Amino acid sequence: MDVFSFIAAGIMVYVAVAVFITGMAYQIVGWSRTPRSSVRLGLFPKPKSKAGRFFKVLKDSFIFPQSYAVDKAAWIFAIVFHGSLLVILLAHFRLVREFTPLVNLLGMEGMDTLSAIGGKTLGIIIIFPVLFYLLRRFISPHKDLSVAEDYFLVIILILIIAFGDHLRFFADFHVEDYREYVQSLLVFRPSYPEAIAGSDARLVLSLHVLFVNILVIYFPFSKLMHIIGTFAANKVRSD
Amino acid sequence: MDGVDKEALKKVLKTRINRQLLYYLDLCARCSICKDACHQYTITKDVLYLPAYRAELIRRIYKKYYSPLGRIFPKFYEGREIDDEKLLDELYTAAYACTGCRRCMYYCPFSIDTTWILGVAKEILNAAGRGCSILEELTNASIEKGKNIGLFRDIMLDMLKSTEEEVQKKTGDKNASIPVDKEGADILYAALAGTHTIVPAAIIFNQAKKDWTLSLFEAANYGYFLGDTARAREIADRIVNEAKRLKVKEVIITECGHAYRVMKFLYEAWAEEKLPFRVTGIVEAISDYVDDGLIKLKPGSFKDPITYHDPCQVGRNAGFFDEPRKIMKIIAEDFREMTPNREKNWCCGGGGGLVANPEMEDFRLKTGRLKTDQIKATGAAAIVSPCENCRLQLDNLNQKFGLGLEIKSLMDFVVDAMPLPGNK
Repeated sequence: MDVFSFIAAGIMVYVAVAVFITGMAYQIVGWSRTPRSSVRLGLFPKPKSKAGRFFKVLKDSFIFPQSYAVDKAAWIFAIVFHGSLLVILLAHFRLVREFTPLVNLLGMEGMDTLSAIGGKTLGIIIIFPVLFYLLRRFISPHKDLSVAEDYFLVIILILIIAFGDHLRFFADFHVEDYREYVQSLLVFRPSYPEAIAGSDARLVLSLHVLFVNILVIYFPFSKLMHIIGTFAANKVRSD
Repeated sequence: MDGVDKEALKKVLKTRINRQLLYYLDLCARCSICKDACHQYTITKDVLYLPAYRAELIRRIYKKYYSPLGRIFPKFYEGREIDDEKLLDELYTAAYACTGCRRCMYYCPFSIDTTWILGVAKEILNAAGRGCSILEELTNASIEKGKNIGLFRDIMLDMLKSTEEEVQKKTGDKNASIPVDKEGADILYAALAGTHTIVPAAIIFNQAKKDWTLSLFEAANYGYFLGDTARAREIADRIVNEAKRLKVKEVIITECGHAYRVMKFLYEAWAEEKLPFRVTGIVEAISDYVDDGLIKLKPGSFKDPITYHDPCQVGRNAGFFDEPRKIMKIIAEDFREMTPNREKNWCCGGGGGLVANPEMEDFRLKTGRLKTDQIKATGAAAIVSPCENCRLQLDNLNQKFGLGLEIKSLMDFVVDAMPLPGNK
């Protein structure tokens, strides 16, 4: 591994994971240690049963149907973005190890086809909501409302996606090579296998991982905490 | 800023931080989905009225003092000092314009309660000596009146004599009365200043043969509009103490949205105690009396097309959608719904104390346009709304835009449909 890659795609990965876990714990403990107001802030109508409230929290957090009614474009982009992101994240686990049950179902060739179609398609699709997120921030009223954090996050996302798509479409190394790299991280001896180290796209991978690290480090201190907080806040709606 | 202790303001913010507020301040993605939920932003297109921006003003102070990164890089979040002049000016406009309808919360994907955040804003403004002076005067006047209740009691009892006659004439019941200070009564009824919310309620309680007594204190709470919890509680305390003294089982709040919200949802948290009586809105009470057959209504007795405006504090924020509609549909021959309605209903534009504030008159008439259009579209000749604030605003809109509407309280609407000798 060259020095830059060793830092960006090696050591920094551990730093990022450590900061992420500590930061998340810090924020969540901070929330739970703050006394709750006993005022019931719920909106009506609200479900009467506990189960009803539980499902309403899930519905409000995952689908937020009422937002669709008032801003269709924002809702569609939000669903496309978060849906794609979720699938893309899950698909990245293939770079750790093979999903055996899925392989049994589809066969090795089937897996490659799924990955080629699914990965490439979503890699392209996710660009649109992210561009929407960026461009609207240059138009009022979003412009007047936005702070540096908003631009920062969306630019980091664009960089991650751009380098990720480059790897997917142009790099000459493949899933086995990534696995070797991930395994090296897991045993705390980060290194690129020959196929990556000798490739021109090596730097692209290092940059992709670098920006993911930056996002992961910043995550607990950002508005992205909504990934967890949305359940808590939507529960208040049904209180 | 002169004469204002920055540390004191920071303390106000600190004491007002609770878990719900933290969620709201930490989560907002500034997605602006709320923009079209707010009637004020929809009409003015001014970012100051965009719910997320209103909340963002408090968030900027919070980030500056409480976020780990915001303390080091305040610029990254537009972090601001709590005594920043420009920020406090914007906060004043944003907070005192909000009607507290909580429609933005309904549409927010994280259910962020902007009104809750602006409650903190108002506390800060009051501590900085920048609270709304008109609302403050009204608050202080109300508190003074309560302190001199001995004086006002006599005036009130005098006034009630003729009111009682009115009730007796309408019901044909010589024994119909308006009891005051009746110990051991089941119900304490909190009305508004004047007799217009006393007469119909007295008729309803007498006809339903309820054991009730009238509160000496008006339900309205300007302290809540002002956003000064200490003074708001002082005003609400009077009814609570009266109810405790008379040992009533139930306090019924008249058709007044915020008074009901204060008593039903806020008071117990302010006082950190469980109230020894039930708090009911008059809408709920009437609905129960109709269900139990305690009061009779003449079906279809109101002939003109009529619509119903869901007051935010009765509908979205308290859950009474079906009860008033049930009554409307019995009495009205031609009941028409507005669109949207129920929990999606547009605010009339007069809540949050705006109706009481002459400075806001132009603004609330302008931002009442959505409501006006909604009413026009129904073609209704009359409208019922069980909230004094809404009715005052609707009355203003009615005159300004020549809607030719008859505006009625639910109580009056019900009383007019009862088979009473006083009804022709």
